[in-house]
Amino acid sequence: MIEVQALAKSYGSFTAVRELTFSVRPGEVLGLVGPNGAGKTTTLRCLAGIIPMTAGSVRVDGHDLAAEPVAAKRALAFFPDEPRLFDYLTVRQHLNFVARIYGVAGYEALATPLLEELELADKADVLPGELSRGMKQKLVIACGLLHSPRVMFFDEPLTGLDPLGIRRMKDSIVRRAQAGAAIVLSSHLLHLLEEVCTHVLILKKGEKVAGGTLADVAAQFSNGEPNVSLEEVFIRATGGTEG
Amino acid sequence: MAGALLYYRLTSLGNLVAYRLRRLRQPKYLFGTLVAVAYFYYFVFRRVGVAWAVAPGGMRPGTAAASSLFAVTVTCAALSILALIRIAFAWAFPPDTPGFRFSEAEIGFLFPAPIPRRMLIHYRLLSNQAAILFTSVLIALVFTRGGSLGVHRAYRAVGWWVILSLFDLHLNGTRMTIARLRERSSHDLLWRLAAVAAIVLYATACFWSAFGVAGAAAELGNYFSGHALDDAVTALLASPVFPWLSLPFRIAFGPYAATSAGGFFLALAPALLLLGIHYYWVLNTEAKFEEGSIAMAEKRAAAKAAAARGEGPKLGTARPKALSGPFPLAPVGPPEIAFLWKNLLSMRSVLFSRRALFIVLGLVTWVGVALRPLLAVRTNPADGQAVGAMVLIFSGIVALYTLLLGPQLARQDLRGDLANADLLKTYPIAGWRLALGELLAPTLLLSLVLWFTIAAAAAAFDPAGRFEAVTPAVRATIAACLALAAPLVCLIQLIVPNTIMVLFPGWYQAARSRTAGVEMFGQRIIFGLAQFLFALVVLLPAAGWAGVVAVCSYPLVGVAGAALTGSLMAGFILVAEAAVGLWWLGERFGHFDLSGELR
Repeated sequence: MIEVQALAKSYGSFTAVRELTFSVRPGEVLGLVGPNGAGKTTTLRCLAGIIPMTAGSVRVDGHDLAAEPVAAKRALAFFPDEPRLFDYLTVRQHLNFVARIYGVAGYEALATPLLEELELADKADVLPGELSRGMKQKLVIACGLLHSPRVMFFDEPLTGLDPLGIRRMKDSIVRRAQAGAAIVLSSHLLHLLEEVCTHVLILKKGEKVAGGTLADVAAQFSNGEPNVSLEEVFIRATGGTEG
Repeated sequence: MAGALLYYRLTSLGNLVAYRLRRLRQPKYLFGTLVAVAYFYYFVFRRVGVAWAVAPGGMRPGTAAASSLFAVTVTCAALSILALIRIAFAWAFPPDTPGFRFSEAEIGFLFPAPIPRRMLIHYRLLSNQAAILFTSVLIALVFTRGGSLGVHRAYRAVGWWVILSLFDLHLNGTRMTIARLRERSSHDLLWRLAAVAAIVLYATACFWSAFGVAGAAAELGNYFSGHALDDAVTALLASPVFPWLSLPFRIAFGPYAATSAGGFFLALAPALLLLGIHYYWVLNTEAKFEEGSIAMAEKRAAAKAAAARGEGPKLGTARPKALSGPFPLAPVGPPEIAFLWKNLLSMRSVLFSRRALFIVLGLVTWVGVALRPLLAVRTNPADGQAVGAMVLIFSGIVALYTLLLGPQLARQDLRGDLANADLLKTYPIAGWRLALGELLAPTLLLSLVLWFTIAAAAAAFDPAGRFEAVTPAVRATIAACLALAAPLVCLIQLIVPNTIMVLFPGWYQAARSRTAGVEMFGQRIIFGLAQFLFALVVLLPAAGWAGVVAVCSYPLVGVAGAALTGSLMAGFILVAEAAVGLWWLGERFGHFDLSGELR
């Protein structure tokens, strides 16, 4: 579903991501972890086609992102850490707009349960300026899910959510994966990754330090100790320093 | 205490200058500064150097003096009208909680500090003086008209300082009075309506008395001759009512309009007295200004943060309201229409607020009623020709400004969506279609303005029928051809600023920020020049080939046919240019990474 080969991204002489290779299959949730400045967000933005990669290739749902960007993007949804919305569109108008962009016929039938699930039904006719940060986040999620994407990228998905919202978000991610979606998410919250992810990819200074299933990565850095937490694995893998 | 506040202002000023100088190491600021300095040298200081050398010695006779007197009189009249409108606006639409313009840092440090409230007001009012003094000197330098009246430019600068200070104090006084009214009674709306009604009555009385006298003294069209204006002003000041009605404004504008050094000092004394009265008014209103000041500071900080994030400045102060879409948007169809729908929606929220509608309707109604004596002067046949010429000139000016400045003002396109660039790029749409969709709404708006000017010009052209070849049918054909070309020209003109944003996001962001400074001025000149040059490069081939085709086909198909074939040729070239521009803009937007550019 997501195949990444030798992905690299540079800004002038600065290399943000180098030689990254991995794949995510349907039903898998890959957690991107790393210290600040490790290249997690840059990687996600390259995968979502937001910024062009400097080298390498990315295939999303069988489509090469560079050669067939429109077809690849039709299958994916990107959820940024900071909810960005159009100031003058109401909640309902956001969904109407996104439906037209993705060509979702009969979107009303999908939008109503989605708004109810995300507890936005009573806010359908208000502008983003009147929504709390958490509600804005929910609206971004509703817009992203409207076209039933098979590939999802979440950048720090729990930022700004209350405890109940966090629980619901985690459940939602797991449910989408169980329904067959391939998901990549980045987060500093390692307990989230332990609960939600099937795989993990640890980055440092733009390079892959470790990757695989949670058990594989834990075994790699456990030094023979039993029940090593992901936090301990992370610290050992990154050497306890910033990206 | 005053010493601490003075220390803060002076240290901040010093650090600001040092920061601006350090910033010149970046090319975008250095080039901006160079262009601005060149502009000021060639268009301001060189002229000032010549004008400054003229020794003051009373008003000099001749055309220059008459022209200068005209300029000064018109400036005073125009500024008086604008000031009245602004003051009426301040009474009609005050902020929810009026206050003074403190920064968030000033509020954080000064409000909890042991500083008397009056000291804070003194501090705020005197802080405004730095900007007012700078502006006064700049205006006196830039606008060289009035130099022929024989007073030194420094006097003119003091005159501007009096005007701007009075205006600043009056607005602050109005805000504080409204705050005080609200504290004392819940019926402040009645008081405010009464104030607006009083201003409207006052303005109407001024206009009626002025036009009643001036209309008898001189022909309106002969004011440029100078003598007619002299006669009109003399008659006005000798009339029984107008001198009293206009007294506050004559005091305020007295130093600025003085024609000799003696006259300047005579006018300065009452002006300073009026300033003192205003200062006393603001200082002693004793309204609670803290909450309003905090609200104002938060709003400004939010706007600044939004600008830093790449979001455009919002017009007006009201929060946006949810509106129904401009038309029903079907979930399936060309995605460009979705962008048109979205941007028209935001355009409606920004441009067509109820407040704006109320103001425009109010002004139109008032002009219709108050200026009836002027509008109903004469109806002789020659006037039709003159009115037609005026409409033509006005239409031409509006069309030119729409083409050159319109794209800078109508920003409901990629520039307005800069903050959402990441989101837009995840959409499954080809780049050129996204670019086209984003540009449709401002193209439509600018095209509407152009269509209006074309229709007005076509209707007003040659009412006497002196050009026999230009029959109504020919005129209608030419107008239709121009109307068809208008959207394409607007679209191409809008591609320019969007391309500049995509190619030079760092420059674009800097020029859009609310930071003032000579380098920002220079950057805006660079963008304006780029827009103008691009317009020439793109439109000249279309116009040239259209002209060639029209001239060649004229003997065969006549004027209307030639216009039609010429415009078809122009349309073909414009479509090709627009297509190439959109494709390129879309491609560049796909590779656009603001975070990378600003690194």
